Amino acid sequence: MTILLNGIITGLIMGGILSLPVLGVAVIYGITGVPNFGIGVIGVFGGFITWYLLPSNIGLAIAAGVAACFVIGYLVQRVLLTPISEKGGDSTLFFIITVSLGFVFEGLIRAIFPRPNISITLPRIGLLHFLGFSVEGFKIVALLFALGTLVAIRLSEEHTKGGKSWQATSQNLKLAKLVGINTTRVFGVASGIGCALACVGAIFWGSLYNLDLASGWDLGFMGFIIAVVGGIGNIWGGIISALVIGMVMSFSGYLLGGMWQSVILYAIVILVLIVAPKGILGSERSL
Amino acid sequence: MKDRYEKILTVLILLVPLLFALRGGYLQQVTGYLFLFLIQGYVAWFLYFKSGQPFFGYSVTMAVGAYGTIVLTTYVEGFLLPSMLISSVAAGLIGVLIFLATSRARGFYVSMASFLLAILFPKLVEAMQSITGGRSGLYFTGLGGIIGQTSLYLLVVVLTALVVGFFVWLMSTKTGQILTLISENDPLTLAVGINTFKYKALAYAIGGFISGLGGAMYVNYTGFISSVDIEVFTTVYIFFIPLIGGSRVLYGPIVGALFVILVPELLVSVERYMRIFFGLTFILVIVLLPQGLVPSFHQALARIRSARASK
Amino acid sequence: MSTWNDGQADGIILNVSGLTCCYGKMTALKGIDFHVYDHEILGIVGPNGAGKTTLLEAIAGTGPIAEGQIEFLGRQIGRWPVLRRRQLGLALIPQDGYVFPMMSVKKNLEVSLHLTRGQRRQELLEYVYELFPVLWERRRQTASTMSGGQQKMLAVAIGITSDARVLLIDEPSIGLAPKLVTRLFDTFQKIRRDTGKTIVLAEQNIKVLNIADRLFGLEAGHIRFDENTANLSKEVVKDLYLSRGV
Repeated sequence: MTILLNGIITGLIMGGILSLPVLGVAVIYGITGVPNFGIGVIGVFGGFITWYLLPSNIGLAIAAGVAACFVIGYLVQRVLLTPISEKGGDSTLFFIITVSLGFVFEGLIRAIFPRPNISITLPRIGLLHFLGFSVEGFKIVALLFALGTLVAIRLSEEHTKGGKSWQATSQNLKLAKLVGINTTRVFGVASGIGCALACVGAIFWGSLYNLDLASGWDLGFMGFIIAVVGGIGNIWGGIISALVIGMVMSFSGYLLGGMWQSVILYAIVILVLIVAPKGILGSERSL
Repeated sequence: MKDRYEKILTVLILLVPLLFALRGGYLQQVTGYLFLFLIQGYVAWFLYFKSGQPFFGYSVTMAVGAYGTIVLTTYVEGFLLPSMLISSVAAGLIGVLIFLATSRARGFYVSMASFLLAILFPKLVEAMQSITGGRSGLYFTGLGGIIGQTSLYLLVVVLTALVVGFFVWLMSTKTGQILTLISENDPLTLAVGINTFKYKALAYAIGGFISGLGGAMYVNYTGFISSVDIEVFTTVYIFFIPLIGGSRVLYGPIVGALFVILVPELLVSVERYMRIFFGLTFILVIVLLPQGLVPSFHQALARIRSARASK
Repeated sequence: MSTWNDGQADGIILNVSGLTCCYGKMTALKGIDFHVYDHEILGIVGPNGAGKTTLLEAIAGTGPIAEGQIEFLGRQIGRWPVLRRRQLGLALIPQDGYVFPMMSVKKNLEVSLHLTRGQRRQELLEYVYELFPVLWERRRQTASTMSGGQQKMLAVAIGITSDARVLLIDEPSIGLAPKLVTRLFDTFQKIRRDTGKTIVLAEQNIKVLNIADRLFGLEAGHIRFDENTANLSKEVVKDLYLSRGV
């Protein structure tokens, strides 16, 4: 019984953290139609920035990392990805380019920062006690943050001008341009937000486990495949599948040992791709 | 005419290194290593650039060939050549499996699935550490012990030339022509009544097999393999061989392989910046020189020549 | 909305010269020259594949231009992005994909009022609801659930809310019942009467003759004729519609 509960909780936590890069992926792909496979590494890059500035001021450090990722995401979209998609890039091309981008940032991490393996110490919020369990308060925060972001996006789509432009762009790109929406800017902002989300995810991950050069790929790809399972572009689907997969991973971790965790994960995804290519909850490109 | 000239030139370039055996040492060793990756590069050239299949699992098929060879040879005495063959066939099967698994998906899902497998495979290897040696890897004597390192090197060179020749021949057959059609316009080819499924499966099988064979030779030549060798980056490297060198010209991948394999060797001192350099170069090449280095080089050369002539 | 003098053609506000557009190896438009007068209703007629959509998209900025110039209100807009052309006063109602499918009518219109501020927003909304009462009735309805005719009306409404000086409309009659087509064309005339907008209408439907001041015929990327509707000989019209067109 204890194991079950433990597994569920660990799963929820892990799923919660993973839901952040998943959101990032869903947001970017849902709006721009570009699958950016490098956002994990970009997020980890931001995580390293946060780690580096941590001694000065925690708030500043986090803000700096997230802001940096936003800017990077925005620039990458404006300078590189949008021009290419205007010229008709196909998805395999974007795959190659964004993966290469990931390598660039992996290299930057290696070149700039003194250590390739770090862990981020965040302040302890306190323990939550329930059902005889003590859970580190802030571990749950990741999930709350993801949900909060989702709600924020939805609200802004209904009530703010920017949010409406965002929704319009995702529903009908050509018409959005025709009514005068600056779709290039919308794309840039979407990309920026996606990378910023990935950064937050990386920060959480880095405080729970650690961040190294491979983490970016793991996070980014896990984010992607979880999004695919849930139906890429479908934000709710993404969060749900993140939680489910988080639990599957934690259980397989207990039962089979850590090494097999990722194996099981990828196996599931490949299975989903075979059986239901559009994802379990389906629908692409709908937020 | 030009086509012939290309083919002859390629064969010559490929066979000249036979002479390196006379010199031996580092030159021979690096060239052999280069050629083994060249095999993989030509598989990528065949599968992606000539047949239009977005496959990114070259490190996986190579690994299957390599690990299969070691494992089978370890468990069955003196089974070297058959185990190389069996592993290559297994690699081919994996290629077909990936194709079957993703045939219902579209666009980047296909690339993603094979790329995921490329990420997964080293982890799988590490998980099965008892058999595969995980990160510490396995040592292997193989052919090197039987026929000697020099003969092995010559074998590798000849094998590479044969592989290239095979692909050239294949593309000229009916199968090859159909694959070309598929790469240009898949739905149209299907609409015309050709069983594209069959031909694509065949392409994956052949590509997987040759990649596996290359992997089997790789482990014989280098005598060692670990999960680090078949990391994700490897499959990217392999894909970039035809991409960077140029897929339109037959000897393009050779230039690409030179770039991808030799540059890291030369830049060992600035290893820290290697990934950045590579990543940026990849992006720049894709965006600015979509035809690859060789055709762009030709163009530049032509410009220099005409500039000189007018002086 | 102020009214203006009916029948007064003013200066040329849109001038297209040497326009050539290609899709890959196929040339859809070959060196087109034409001009549009302020406040007129101009019909562009021609069979399928003539290049009507290519032409309108090139002017609006959503389609490619290989060669040629487009001059609007004295500015060379050939290289301008869609956004800027819209701001200058050029709006396109495309042939398909002309609504935001998963938004309500109300939200569709809110979004299309993107570039408009303040009092004008309200004025435009009122005008649009007055023109198309059914849109007011169904203002909370999701666009994709409406009938084809209603969606067309929404599309025209979106075009009007652009407050543009020139409306480019691409084959609005497609898929509409004949009665609706007549009503729609009448609405275009009303819009021109009320607002003085210039309307460039690409159409295959012969009814466009009823409302257009001028017609020019497009076929296989070339202009075949350019005439005031009143002057069009019966032969030309018969030729166009019976042997090639509708």
